[in-house]
Amino acid sequence: MTDARKASELVSKSLREELSPEESAELSQYMVCEETQKFAAASKLIQQSVVVGAKSIVDGDDSELPALSVDAKQRMRDSLNAASQEKLRLSQAGLLRSATVTGSRTTPQETKSGRAVTSRFQVIRPLAEGGLGNVWLVRDEKMNRTVAMKELNRQGLESPKAWERFQREAEITGMLEHPNIIPIYQFGEDRQSAEPFYTMRFVGKKTLSDAILEYHDLVAAGEEGPLGLHRLLSVFSDVCQAIAYAHSRGVVHRDLKPENIALDSFGQVIVLDWGLAKVLEEGELFHKLSSGAGLSESSMTKTMQGDIVGTPLYMSPEQAAGDLDGINERTDIYGLGAILFAILTGNAPHAQSLGDSADLSQAVRSISQKETPRVRDENPAVPSELDKICAKAMARKQHMRFTSVSAFAEAIEKWMAGQSDMNARYEAMRAEGRDLCGQLNAFVGALERNVRFMSRLPPINQLMHAKTDEETATWRERLATIFEGLLDANADYGSVFYRSVTDGTSRELVRVERHSRESNRIRIVPRSRLMESPTNPMVNFIMQQKPGDVVTTLIQMADDENNTDCVRDCMLAGVPVFDDATEDAFGLVLIECDANSILRHQLSGQIVCSEIVIVSGSRVIMRKIGDRFDEDSIGMNVSSLAPFHDATAWLESHTEYIDTTDAQVYGRRIQLNASQSNLLILLRT
Amino acid sequence: MNITSEHRGAIPADVEAPSVLDPDAWVDRYSDYLFRYAFSRLREANAAEEVVQETFLSGIRYYEQYSGRGTERSWLLGILKRKIIDFVRRRNKHAGVAPYENETDLTAQLFDETGNWKGGGIGMAAEPGKQVEMSELWGVVRGCLGTLPSGQADVFTLSVIEEMDSADICEELGISSSNFWVRMHRARLGLAACVDQKWEVEQR
Repeated sequence: MTDARKASELVSKSLREELSPEESAELSQYMVCEETQKFAAASKLIQQSVVVGAKSIVDGDDSELPALSVDAKQRMRDSLNAASQEKLRLSQAGLLRSATVTGSRTTPQETKSGRAVTSRFQVIRPLAEGGLGNVWLVRDEKMNRTVAMKELNRQGLESPKAWERFQREAEITGMLEHPNIIPIYQFGEDRQSAEPFYTMRFVGKKTLSDAILEYHDLVAAGEEGPLGLHRLLSVFSDVCQAIAYAHSRGVVHRDLKPENIALDSFGQVIVLDWGLAKVLEEGELFHKLSSGAGLSESSMTKTMQGDIVGTPLYMSPEQAAGDLDGINERTDIYGLGAILFAILTGNAPHAQSLGDSADLSQAVRSISQKETPRVRDENPAVPSELDKICAKAMARKQHMRFTSVSAFAEAIEKWMAGQSDMNARYEAMRAEGRDLCGQLNAFVGALERNVRFMSRLPPINQLMHAKTDEETATWRERLATIFEGLLDANADYGSVFYRSVTDGTSRELVRVERHSRESNRIRIVPRSRLMESPTNPMVNFIMQQKPGDVVTTLIQMADDENNTDCVRDCMLAGVPVFDDATEDAFGLVLIECDANSILRHQLSGQIVCSEIVIVSGSRVIMRKIGDRFDEDSIGMNVSSLAPFHDATAWLESHTEYIDTTDAQVYGRRIQLNASQSNLLILLRT
Repeated sequence: MNITSEHRGAIPADVEAPSVLDPDAWVDRYSDYLFRYAFSRLREANAAEEVVQETFLSGIRYYEQYSGRGTERSWLLGILKRKIIDFVRRRNKHAGVAPYENETDLTAQLFDETGNWKGGGIGMAAEPGKQVEMSELWGVVRGCLGTLPSGQADVFTLSVIEEMDSADICEELGISSSNFWVRMHRARLGLAACVDQKWEVEQR
């Protein structure tokens, strides 16, 4: 560097009075140069003017500097107004964020030190308030994740016991490592205030309490079935797992209630709030606790007082009676029973008897003295088995409760499995009912197609117009042969007729029938035995139909016209026959089947359900109990079969009945065409 | 259990509703003052408006932390100073200022090929006995600061006007100490040359 440049640098440095003694000596050598002197003088003047100018600005005296434009000021007002409103809104919503302020530090030095302190956790919003502590949603800057942070509130900070208990709570929870127990990430003290805090997984705000409320609302609206209950019981089973684990480590939760069970959005069940947990002396954790194990029960209960912020209704009788020595694992079994009670009824135990009474001591007295309420007294729709399980868990006397949480959970799981079996059975029965219905419909469809086909055979019209006996005999024989073939091919068909109908008289022209006792014998009825009778309403109804329209119905027919006691149920399908030449209705073709035989055939394969009843109108025409066909029931009125009352009433206006309450009965209605007759299929598991 | 010591961040003991703020009054009372202050440091009206606005917004956000000691104006000024430093840092970072910018021009103007003073480059203070009006000179200096490369002008402003410690300036702007002194030196040379010229014009 040249002398001149070096000199100017030293001048510049000297104005900040930052020259070392060596540099000062060096500068004085350079100052002999006139140009360097000028530079030094000019720089000094400039510096002086700057200091004066800067002071005038700070004092607000420098009017030569430009001011803000009117537009710029308006822009500022608008943006500040918006910010001010937003702040007010956040504040009112309780969402006010806090953060470190750097701007308030007025000197650069302070600014620097202020910025050096960086917070690991940034508060997002408050989550919950307890008696002694608050929970905040915070952002962990180091781990880049959102966590929940618990700290003591002002009241808690003033109580040394609360500090002790706070640490104890964190320690106990931290030692319980289970997928259904809230994991603690960190326990620490604030660097500045030394106040304790701990962070844990943030599991959202939804609790079992919300889920129970939601379920019972949906049930009341008729939008929730057994599946909802099943889901809640699965959650309950997870809670049992967590508590069973805690018991195995010698920890009793003793504050179990739906509000303390968190449900995250992925279906994970988390048991929270181990603040009141009791560590049993014989348990393995007792000697591991660095703090508070020696915290006496009486001091614990003192600090507990502040924690009964919610409901005491889930409290066991021994807790309510203040029997501290009596608190053990079975206290939690009662608590779990109380949660089950809430799941089944939608209310906490005693909630109905105590009403909205906010009197804590009255509630506690009532729990310690009164009988435990029964689930079915509040909700009679609860299955009796669940009612019994719940009553056992909530027995007043500890020794009457389940011996362990696992035994309790097992009883619930067993019931759920049984329930699944029952549902599976019912589903199988429904499938069976639908199959049966399909088969009967197919049978009726085939019957109708066959009778229609028979009515269009050429011999039908030829016979109508036969002029000589010989011609009549020929066409009769041909038609009878075809009818014979039809019966031969369809074992369920009893007889086929071709009748003429004139002037109120119906005359058989051809009739082929199956032998009543030897079902494989088919005979063509001789001309001399063909019958002639007055028309009946059924015949008239068929004659009124258009060509090709089939009437199918179920009627009772007497085998012997002289003995009307001996009747059988027949399915009839008939179609009118028209004269090709005149297009007038001439007669009809009928196929008659024995309903009993058809149904026996169709029901022979049914295995799932315990009982099937087929009803025509209100008359039982077939009943199968187990594998046995119950002939005695035929002819009974269906109203005498109590299990099917609901189903028959429902099927008067619907085609399918599904038993959503008990999953016991299934029903279908088959409407036979062009007639009033119905066929009901009723099944029972 | 592992007990660690962490700073929890500022958890308000009580989340209280903020005092009723009156942004209109802030703009009326303090905006010109803060704007002039910012303008004298940043030399650009847009930049000055931006930092003043940021200052007001921070003021609203952290109003609870205004202790009441000192005036509202000096509290806001404290915030503004921080905003100015942040702005300068951003500007320097994005400008990608070369450490020895404009060296050639300045060298040619003030020194000859052998590195000695050319003479006549700086002469304004050479008139003995002449009283210099400081406020007038300040006006000229301010104008000249605007002609300097911003890397030099910013260092000069923070050091001489804002009276920041050189080590702090180095830390804030992320520059070395030698770089700081080179910039300061360039700024003084540039100012001396510029003021000399303009001063002569003004004095005529």
